[in-house]
Amino acid sequence: MACDTKEIMISITGMTCNSCVKTIESEVGKENGIHKIKVSLENMNAKVSFDPQVLTNKDVVELIEDLGFDAEVET
Amino acid sequence: MLTHEYKVEMTCSGCSGAVTRILSKKLTEPGSKFDVNLEAKTVTITSDLPEATLTEMLKKCGKEVTYIGSK
Repeated sequence: MACDTKEIMISITGMTCNSCVKTIESEVGKENGIHKIKVSLENMNAKVSFDPQVLTNKDVVELIEDLGFDAEVET
Repeated sequence: MLTHEYKVEMTCSGCSGAVTRILSKKLTEPGSKFDVNLEAKTVTITSDLPEATLTEMLKKCGKEVTYIGSK
């Protein structure tokens, strides 16, 4: 099956140091359906590529909010 | 209501902020309260929920959580 990937930018507030970045990348990274996640502390957002068959934009946002950070999709 | 104490490996205010946000969203039953102490790396929760549920809630923040005990 064609492994299609959708890429979105999510703005994240509440991150103050690199350990928060590492936590988000490792916790979200191990969820199934997530292909790649790159968190940027400077511009307070994350680029997430995931399988739209498995997850929706909202699911990805909820994954980050479950970690205790405020997240929303950058339109 | 029991008061449970946990050691949580929080390294910065961002992490303690994350734990605070998780608890304020998830710990909704009346009378329950919590206190996050970054310097001492401890989280104290007063709640009726079983300890295992609280541990699971804290582990969500991706940090190492150790149960100290309840008073």
